[in-house]
Amino acid sequence: MTSLKRPTANDQSHLNLSSKVYVRSTKSGKVQKIVREVYLRQDIPCSSQICSNCRPPANAAGQVSPPVLSDKPAGTKAFPQGHYLVPDTNALLNAMDLFEQSSAFFDVIILQTVLEELRNRSLPLYNRLIGLTKSEDKRFYVFFNEFRLETYVAREQDESINDRNDRAVRQAVQWYNMHLAQVKSKRLPTVVMLTDDKGNIEKAKQDKVPAVTLRDYVGGLEDADRLLDMIAESRERGISRDKKAADFLYPEYFTMSKMMTGVKGGMLHQGIFNVSPYNYLEGSIKVPAFPKALLILGRDNINRAVDGDVVVVEVLPKDQWKEPSTKIIEEEAITKNENADGDEGEDLVTEKERRALQEEVKKTHTSSSEGRPQPTAKVVGIIKRNWRQYVGHIDQSSVGSAAKSGRKQDTVFLIPMDKKVPKIKLRTRQVGELLGKRILVTIDAWDRESRHPVGHFVRSLGELETKAAETEALLLEHDVQYRPFPKTVLDCLPKEGHDWKVPASTDDPGWKGREDLRGLLICSIDPVGCQDIDDALHARALPNGNFEVGVHIADVSHFVKPSNAMDNEASIRGTTVYLVDKRIDMLPMLLGTDLCSLKPYVERYAFSVLWELNQSADIVNVRFTKSVIKSREAFSYEQAQIRIDDDSQQDDLTKGMRTLLMLSKKLKQKRMDAGALSLSSPEVKVQMESETSDPIDVKTKELLDTNSLVEEFMLLANISVAGKIYEAFPQTAILRRHAAPPKTNFDELANQLKVKRGLELHVDSSRAVADSLDACRDPKEPFFNTLIRIMATRCMMSAEYFCAGTQAYPEFRHYGLASEIYTHFTSPIRRYADLCAHRQLAAAIDYEPMHPSVRSRGKLEAVCKNINVRHRNAQLAGRASIAYYVGQSLKGRVAEEEGFVMKIFSNGFVILVPRFGIEGLIRLRDLAETEPESVYDAENYTLKLSGSRDLTVELFQKVVVRISDAKDEATGKRGAKMELVKVI
Amino acid sequence: MPLDTSTYNLALLRVDGRRWNDLRRLHGQIRTQAAADGSSYLEMGNTKVMCVVTGPSESARRGGAGGGAGGPAASSSSSTATTPNGAEIAVTIVTGGFSTVDRKKRSRTDKRVQELQAGVAKALAGALHAHLYPRSTIAVSLHVLSQDGSLLACLVNASTLALVDAGVPMTDYLVACTAGSTSGHGAGDEGADPLLDLNGQEEQELPFLTLGTLGATDRVALLVCESRVQVGRLEGMMAVAADGCGHIRAALDRIVRDKGAQMVREGAIAKGESIGMDLD
Repeated sequence: MTSLKRPTANDQSHLNLSSKVYVRSTKSGKVQKIVREVYLRQDIPCSSQICSNCRPPANAAGQVSPPVLSDKPAGTKAFPQGHYLVPDTNALLNAMDLFEQSSAFFDVIILQTVLEELRNRSLPLYNRLIGLTKSEDKRFYVFFNEFRLETYVAREQDESINDRNDRAVRQAVQWYNMHLAQVKSKRLPTVVMLTDDKGNIEKAKQDKVPAVTLRDYVGGLEDADRLLDMIAESRERGISRDKKAADFLYPEYFTMSKMMTGVKGGMLHQGIFNVSPYNYLEGSIKVPAFPKALLILGRDNINRAVDGDVVVVEVLPKDQWKEPSTKIIEEEAITKNENADGDEGEDLVTEKERRALQEEVKKTHTSSSEGRPQPTAKVVGIIKRNWRQYVGHIDQSSVGSAAKSGRKQDTVFLIPMDKKVPKIKLRTRQVGELLGKRILVTIDAWDRESRHPVGHFVRSLGELETKAAETEALLLEHDVQYRPFPKTVLDCLPKEGHDWKVPASTDDPGWKGREDLRGLLICSIDPVGCQDIDDALHARALPNGNFEVGVHIADVSHFVKPSNAMDNEASIRGTTVYLVDKRIDMLPMLLGTDLCSLKPYVERYAFSVLWELNQSADIVNVRFTKSVIKSREAFSYEQAQIRIDDDSQQDDLTKGMRTLLMLSKKLKQKRMDAGALSLSSPEVKVQMESETSDPIDVKTKELLDTNSLVEEFMLLANISVAGKIYEAFPQTAILRRHAAPPKTNFDELANQLKVKRGLELHVDSSRAVADSLDACRDPKEPFFNTLIRIMATRCMMSAEYFCAGTQAYPEFRHYGLASEIYTHFTSPIRRYADLCAHRQLAAAIDYEPMHPSVRSRGKLEAVCKNINVRHRNAQLAGRASIAYYVGQSLKGRVAEEEGFVMKIFSNGFVILVPRFGIEGLIRLRDLAETEPESVYDAENYTLKLSGSRDLTVELFQKVVVRISDAKDEATGKRGAKMELVKVI
Repeated sequence: MPLDTSTYNLALLRVDGRRWNDLRRLHGQIRTQAAADGSSYLEMGNTKVMCVVTGPSESARRGGAGGGAGGPAASSSSSTATTPNGAEIAVTIVTGGFSTVDRKKRSRTDKRVQELQAGVAKALAGALHAHLYPRSTIAVSLHVLSQDGSLLACLVNASTLALVDAGVPMTDYLVACTAGSTSGHGAGDEGADPLLDLNGQEEQELPFLTLGTLGATDRVALLVCESRVQVGRLEGMMAVAADGCGHIRAALDRIVRDKGAQMVREGAIAKGESIGMDLD
């Protein structure tokens, strides 16, 4: 008989084979037992440069990765010989910011045990750590201790997995020290375990493993005070926590499984929590089950959710439904006097907050049809925190007088710039230095017993109101990647640098498949001072009476190859961000402003769209080709306009431009007839003093005919390209759509127009909207129409990029442009979507094969998602930058300007000043010494004031305001402060 | 959630601690079922397969005298490969419901199972000297006890061992092995390493192919690739897989020789000239 039992005596392999068995539960609740093999080996190097015994591994190409850890690591008082750090999981969880410091924390060994545990606990932290291991100067080395025979630790009977992991870390540290001791060197570095776990430290002492707590270690470093602040808050209080476990301020969250079952069963609803910009105690959440957003009112119901979190809510019984607030409630005004130090003995909802809410409730009972109570909900749990790093400044009033000088640790409040984010409690030893600075913090936790979230200091951006600090703050707040391009990206640039030229010989591979269009009279028209010229145009009459029109776009895809470092960086950045005084480029300068830019008088690679248009600007045919062009001139809009209008200019270039203008007017008319909307936003331009780049004046943007000339042909090119790439790649084409807004979006505006002006707003189609917007005119007030357009724009959905395969064809429609299909093609230097479209078009015309990364739909969907977010952030950042500079330009000046009432609350109103393009809030209490009494008529959008000031304020009313600059105490932003002078 | 294949580049170690060119532990036995004509048991890592060969025996085909015009083989669930004027090779694969994590039973008519059967049968037809057994059937029955990647390769190797045990002559050991690439299809990572002998986790995350060769030569008898992979990486992957096949051949040969030596030692066969010369 033979048996299947494996002989083990002469089988050497069993010595170094182990297996990992673990249990996991699936989403559907099944429990699975997973068995994995683990091969233990002895050739995993310690990667220290002093060690000569270990041989580094080679990859398949035979490249050897050199040792990472320095042979002369830095020493501290405790370890004068130098040291390597081995942090455990908790140390990384609590103080990742510390490890990212550029002044300390070098030569760190990350154990595989720790890496795995960190990945389980927090994926973002894991990704940050992986980023660190790739940085050359930080010298982080990942040691796969679980695969090395000597450091592998088997879990013992009844040992918890955490204990086992701690033991593995100690074992690895011990091995490292023994291993390095074999080297004969005078200056042997110590390998030190870094942990916050008391038990672990004690056990380490028993085993004689060098170990130190994070706090002690940081305390021994040079700028200890600054670094100590960066250790997360939660750890510290860990021991004393159970003292007052009873004083919970907030209701407990449901367990995850309870939430899941609830959501599945339709009893609970999941969505993203949004805070109202006017009232920090009011939030809303859009859930799939209901057409309208659910309201969440009050601190209790918001239950520690922060703007952007993915939360689960429960709808409250109907008698608790409320109507959305008509009142402005600012956190600063109400909780001004709270003490950052103590929470004890206080109720969750302060008296003042309660009073503010009380008035809300009263209104619910008296209100009429307009303000019917809305479904209201409360947060019962959080699926995912979307906490990021927040910029803000320390609340002066929360700082005790002693703290400003001393080194005592102090608790203060940080007021975030973003008004939607609650105050953050911060403990720091450097209050004195941080006062009056812009600082960056992260939220660590928000426990039930703490009224405010608790965070820690990350770094200081500089003095409040300095240009550098404010710009950086603005970029951080909008999550714009503004760091210089890393070396790997710059390595992707052409080696010739600025000397790069279009090859002279047409046999050069660069010319392959390109058409020679150098003979065409091409010119570009852009804003003044534009350096990244994306597009150029030409037109000429054809013998048959039609016109040949060409749009030539910078051939960025020639320089940026798919999936290299530069492409990856560009896809993360998504778009170039334009600030008033600064541009954050998507692509390195060399490409954006030189090699790709279609500068005049030089030859450049381009991607051309060539149409034949007839007299009425209908497309006879269209073709696409890669080309080489030579732009004859780069005009600004004004220059181009002057040249076209000047009848003495009769050269061919000018004639071509006149043809373009003539055709563009016809195109525009056709678009308008199809129902394209002309929307509006208050756009202004800041004029800077050329020397100091200080803002001196604000001008509203002028629109010339040439602006619309360029715009029309860009739209035409985008539409033509969209059709082509959709035809070639019906699943993966990158397109842009603008969904029709739901009719309810216009409800309020339509009602306002009806009540105040007796005007009807038809919203059945974009055409109807366009027509009724045209009808909204006030003969006495030309700006009224623009005001309505601005307000209508805010009712629209935002346009978005998407992959053709994710939507049905009717959904492709671009509502605003009234086009069936649309994409972005014309600005590849500053938008990543355009670059993708270029690649797809190149493949569609068989110029080059499609790279797999442009073909995989999953990847493209991720790209779309990212660029949608980036696009929006870039817009917001640009607007915030203008707002900041408008504030700066008003510095020290007082101006009286006309404005219009855009929105009315029961205790204030919002005014738009077209001259500066700013909106300002005027609160009733600002109107007079004692707050005037008011009667708010919600149905007629009228606020009647009496008492200290007699006044009636109505919606759409024209007013005169005095604008001066003032620092907003709440956000630390300098901005325009408005005072009402008179009502016209 | 343990680490995944993306950590390979950190220290050039795979999820189970192997290097790019390491095979998994390979353990095999032949003549595990005394009653069968030929049998084997093979483990490649945690992929475990049992194989029983019956035959060559008289074909179950009706009206076989005419030759070639017969009906289907005895069992409709097996896949057969016929050789010109030679024996018919019928392969049946049974997958234990317990062989995967989620205990899903795969029926014998399952498309994937049928494809595996056809793959093994075709590869064997090219390696066996089946023309020596006209109008007969060689039935290869494979039982999958546990799955952890490289299943097709393991099935091929187990059948080879069992056929050696059954004494069916063949040109050389038919051996198979998988190879993958360290980064996914869309990643466009130029420096991706090829990987040898993928386990279940790697197969799920990475592109891979299964390559079968005749012995340690480069004569490809089987090539299956169901994932998307850049053409540029294919050559490297195939070279690594072919190299792995060479190692597997050596391992299988060792198993056969050990068994033979043991049988001679135990006196199960007389130490004749033809057998004895290069055993031990």
